[in-house]
Amino acid sequence: MLTKIENVPFTTTADSTVDFVALSNSTLKVRIAHTISQEVAAGFRAWPVWGLMGWDDIRQRYRRSVIGPFWITLSMGIFILVLGVIYSRLFHTELRTFLPYLTVGYVVWGFISAAANDSCIAFIDASRIIKQIKLPYSVYVLRVVWRNFIIFLHTIVIYIPMAIIFKIEPKLTMLYEIPGLLLVGVNLIWLTTVIAILSTRYRDILPIVGTVISLAMFATPIMWTIGALGDGKIIAEVNPVYHLIEIARAPLLGMHPEPLSWLVACGMAVVGSVFAIALMVRASRRIVFWL
Amino acid sequence: MAAIFLKNVGVDIPIYDVKQASMKKALLGRTIGGRFAESSAHMIVNALKNLNFEAHDGDRIALVGDNGAGKSTLLRVVSHVYPPTSGSVHVVGKVSPMFDTTLGINMDATGLENIQIAGTIWGMTRAQIKNSIDDIVDFTELGDYLKIPIRTYSTGMLLRLAFAIATVRDPEILLLDEVIGVGDAGFFQKAFARLLQLVERSRILMVAAHQDDMLRRLCNKAVWLSHGSLVAYGEIESVLAARRNSNAPEQQAASA
Repeated sequence: MLTKIENVPFTTTADSTVDFVALSNSTLKVRIAHTISQEVAAGFRAWPVWGLMGWDDIRQRYRRSVIGPFWITLSMGIFILVLGVIYSRLFHTELRTFLPYLTVGYVVWGFISAAANDSCIAFIDASRIIKQIKLPYSVYVLRVVWRNFIIFLHTIVIYIPMAIIFKIEPKLTMLYEIPGLLLVGVNLIWLTTVIAILSTRYRDILPIVGTVISLAMFATPIMWTIGALGDGKIIAEVNPVYHLIEIARAPLLGMHPEPLSWLVACGMAVVGSVFAIALMVRASRRIVFWL
Repeated sequence: MAAIFLKNVGVDIPIYDVKQASMKKALLGRTIGGRFAESSAHMIVNALKNLNFEAHDGDRIALVGDNGAGKSTLLRVVSHVYPPTSGSVHVVGKVSPMFDTTLGINMDATGLENIQIAGTIWGMTRAQIKNSIDDIVDFTELGDYLKIPIRTYSTGMLLRLAFAIATVRDPEILLLDEVIGVGDAGFFQKAFARLLQLVERSRILMVAAHQDDMLRRLCNKAVWLSHGSLVAYGEIESVLAARRNSNAPEQQAASA
């Protein structure tokens, strides 16, 4: 026998705003505004959280290792050196132009590809936290991008000896590196958001992303130059990854990226961000159940 | 002021692992006449059904009910981890969930690093974490051990540290999920005293547990859940008594 001891009437106080309502009884406008403020903007503001999480990820990975993240620098440096020497012969290009080109391109590619790879498990990795504390989902996205940016800063130091050996003169053009990297970052943030959401729901995304990334490395002018394509330049120009790498590569080599590259990178940043927010509006109330 | 308002709250949890099995069934179904066509997508568990509930300053609420009654789900709804599938949830005040004291604990990091990481995840500022370290040192009595990786700790030391970190917060709404039955007898007394302090600092407490004696010491009200529905909500003794009474006839029937 069940006894109802006290019926609790629901009272709505005049000043109270309902802050967490079911999907069915809130309008789209409310949901979009809520998602942008609670899941996206709030995450950027919580920088101490993802800042520390990202640092700690690296600290964990290289604990008790003497040179730490510089292991990546070392292996990347050796890879670039060997590949650079062989490929400059293969493509009949001068080592003094090809090696810096390969260095910057490969390091930027490392940043992009590692972030894309990690994005598959951005939420899955954090499932214990997500199931216990409500943090904005962008916290986990920014943690992944930030962590890989720290690794990027460790690997880009390979550029310094290259610049000295091959006498790349400091130019004002190099300042374009700042907006270039910023645009790469914005693009990585929306891309990580999209992949993180999809791969949490559909676990088959992870191997697909892996395949696409390894394919993209060969299909994009990183280990070869766009000039080598001759008349087939279009093959590289329709590849969005090329433009993304170009805006972060050309300035460090003292060159202006093509206007087309800026245009594509900016366009992707805008379209991609809108798409990521739209996906977040749809998914943010379900992600926790997918984990 | 802190308050919790739940109106017609329902939570449906989709179970996706079953889907693969049902896809296989769906394929099989097609070949043998489509009998399984209705098991289309995934299984859904109605974890909470049409729940109406509110709590205000000073309420110390015990959640009672059998396993799977929806106690943990309710705590997750109040802490905004689970969005409601229907109805609305309105919470005034900062929610501090404590479902798993080892959250954010990393075995390879030192004690002090763990305090920093876990504290940050719990939403504490750098200054708050710094101020809390003395308190944690006092409670854990770990001293210089805090400077070495916690994988070297004994189980008891580890427990002390995790519990100390988890209870260092200043919660407005404190949510506990079965975290109080921990450790050896000596530590238990100490931990319970610390937990009482934490509860005193909070404005609203919701705690899910199976030990009635403990709940009596912590709470003044109780929510009784059964199969995702609210059976009763009121003064703790009357709810516990009602639950005992409803169980008794069933047990008699079972033993007869």
